[in-house]
Amino acid sequence: MSAAFGGASGPTPWPVTSLPRAPKHRAGRWRRNLTFDKISLFVVFLGLPLALYITFVVSPLIQAVSYSFTDWSGFTPDFKPVGFANYVKILGDDTFQKAMYNNALLAVVVPLIIIVLSLALATMVTVGGAGTGQIRGIKGAGFYRVISFFPYAVPAIAIGIMWNLIFDPSSGLVNGILTGLGFSSFHLFPWLGNIHTAMPTMMFVIVWGFVGFYMVLFIAAIKGIPAEIFEAARIDGAGRLRTALSITLPLIRENVQTAYIYLGIMAIDAFVYAQALNPQGGPNNSTLTMSQELLTTAFQKGEFGVACAMGVIMGLMTVLFAALVFTVNRGTGGRDRITLA
Amino acid sequence: MENTSFGRRTLITGSLAAAALVPLASCATGGSTGTSSASAGASSADNPFGMAASGTVDAVIFNGGYKTDYVDFAGTQLTKKFSGVTVKVSPSTQIAQELQPRFVGGNPPDIVDNSGAGAIGMSTIVDQLEDLTSVLAVNSYEGKKLSDTVYEAAIKSAGTYNGKLAAVNYAMTIYAYWYSAWLFSANGWTPPKTWAEALDLGAKAKAKNKYLMLFGKEAATYYLTTLIASAIMEGGNDVRLSLENLKPDCYSQQAVVDSFKGLEAIIKAGYMKPGGSGTQFTAAQAQWSNTQDALLYPSGGWIENEMKSQTKADFQLTGCNEFTVTSSPKMPAGSLHATAGEPFVVPSKGANMAGGKEVLRAMLSNAAATNFAKTRLALTVVKDTVPADGFGSTALVSQSKLLAAAGNNTFSWQFIDYYGINKANLVVMNSFLEGQMSADDARKGLQAIVDKVANDSSVKKLQVS
Repeated sequence: MSAAFGGASGPTPWPVTSLPRAPKHRAGRWRRNLTFDKISLFVVFLGLPLALYITFVVSPLIQAVSYSFTDWSGFTPDFKPVGFANYVKILGDDTFQKAMYNNALLAVVVPLIIIVLSLALATMVTVGGAGTGQIRGIKGAGFYRVISFFPYAVPAIAIGIMWNLIFDPSSGLVNGILTGLGFSSFHLFPWLGNIHTAMPTMMFVIVWGFVGFYMVLFIAAIKGIPAEIFEAARIDGAGRLRTALSITLPLIRENVQTAYIYLGIMAIDAFVYAQALNPQGGPNNSTLTMSQELLTTAFQKGEFGVACAMGVIMGLMTVLFAALVFTVNRGTGGRDRITLA
Repeated sequence: MENTSFGRRTLITGSLAAAALVPLASCATGGSTGTSSASAGASSADNPFGMAASGTVDAVIFNGGYKTDYVDFAGTQLTKKFSGVTVKVSPSTQIAQELQPRFVGGNPPDIVDNSGAGAIGMSTIVDQLEDLTSVLAVNSYEGKKLSDTVYEAAIKSAGTYNGKLAAVNYAMTIYAYWYSAWLFSANGWTPPKTWAEALDLGAKAKAKNKYLMLFGKEAATYYLTTLIASAIMEGGNDVRLSLENLKPDCYSQQAVVDSFKGLEAIIKAGYMKPGGSGTQFTAAQAQWSNTQDALLYPSGGWIENEMKSQTKADFQLTGCNEFTVTSSPKMPAGSLHATAGEPFVVPSKGANMAGGKEVLRAMLSNAAATNFAKTRLALTVVKDTVPADGFGSTALVSQSKLLAAAGNNTFSWQFIDYYGINKANLVVMNSFLEGQMSADDARKGLQAIVDKVANDSSVKKLQVS
């Protein structure tokens, strides 16, 4: 190495005449570092997932967008480009407008209800316990945690079929209990067939299925908050509600944002629940979702180009929803970074 | 949250990535054009379609009320005659979803039972199907000419699209009101012939704490079927043509108006069991067949098979003809809404297309048709396969009786299935049957659905005369 400095093998004279040069064969050094370990790491954890992602997520997306500009029937290999005609057609179609409205309604209401409920439950289970002594949840919190997760473990289609039977007008549990309690006006009442109750019923079923999971999610998030903060708040005289709103909620802001977006994505789709509860769209199409309309258009009417346009619109709505949530979060103070250490 | 700036570099990288993926844009329609039909052997009197001496026939069959084993039976008949050929039957409940990729990729099955709620709309694939007149022209396995042994008129009217016999419908479906003969004789009731008589029967039923009719949400359009049938019987063939050709006033014809009024009176009187719009249809049907909450249920002849496990013992299922408006309808007495159902199609690009036609020939021969009638207790389009006792089924006996009484006066219509508007009709009918819509509004709603199709220039229309 001392030869590089051009000096004798004795102590180097100061100052050094040239800076140490970078090793010549950088590529060689890099190639030497490529062990089998590193390559297999890249391939398995980067290459393979990327290939799968491109094949099964990105490629169909691109194809859907391109087919939405054609008149492809879906059952022959031939098609002609038609520009924006498909989009004009579906945006002017009153059935699809109804479906868009239904999905927007779901996206606004369902995440809100689920988040509020699961936050309430999560705070009660983690910090809602006695007002004195160690910060802990209410009595029996462990039990509630376990059973509230069960609905999420049931597949969505099973939930839909089950609640369909429970809400059956003649032999369902709901009407049986209500008429048994004396509310005779519920005799043969069609929960899923009445135009005022069909959508709220579907919302109830979706909320029932998801509250448990998001409760567990928020429990994990709240457990990440040091207990000293809650103790300090308690010493300062904060009640349970005040603590929840001013302490807990801001500290798990990102978790709530993520949960909101996931639920919004689910609500803009909501296919399984809508199809299991009301496959024909509900009374006057009041529970019809864009995804159901997409399926009918594609396979019953043989109009794949139009169906792809519907899919693109669904995607755009989802992106819009996510952007909205991010903006609201930023706007309500999400810009500040909070460190807990 | 870290600040992520969307700079120039991100834009360029993103655009390059997008551009690299554009070639993937047409992947869904790519793929091989499929192999041409298996080398057809020479055709002979015994092998009229020139099917190859050995190979398999790929049959995709709808697995619904009629199950699929009748095709397996026909397949064994075929293998008895052509020992090198086997028929592979794949049951399916979602024909359109399963076969869409195969039709696009150019390798469809050899024969398809295109039925059920998930069937492919005929207008979408009619250009890719074989004309099956060639099948009717050959001899059956028993040596008789097929066109002589089948109800040719029914097959032609149900399966002809723009001049081509694109589908051979296999089951002879009778549409009627079904009731329990035991219940009726125990109470001294007779099946009604007009809407007014039905109203009277409803009052009698109410006295016994029963409803006259009921419905389920996925099958609300069964009642639309009876309303249209009633209108056609009352007003004659012109009523049918107006509906089939999607005329702007088809639902305002007098006969249609009167039929709707007839049903509306029953609903208003409270004789239609409420709650149907929230009840799953087989659960509703069980309320009729098992607990007998209602007297009558309109359906096709498949109802016996469909509700076999949920019918009360000694129900004595019998069918009566659909109601007319007056006692002097235009069509002769005994006219029956009957059609051939279960459309079997042979795609032209099937690998063993000749084999597909051969399977159809096997099914239309007497042995397989009798087997269907015996095991499914339903009629096929093949004549004279049902003995007088109907294999012990009262429903089958009444079906034969109704068909015999109708003679040549059977009628049907295609426009609802052809244009795929059943789903939209369900919305209107559910509201109407639940009492939330008047008859006039229901007709307006149905007319709007028909108008939408009529005014949609991208849909090829069926010319019916």
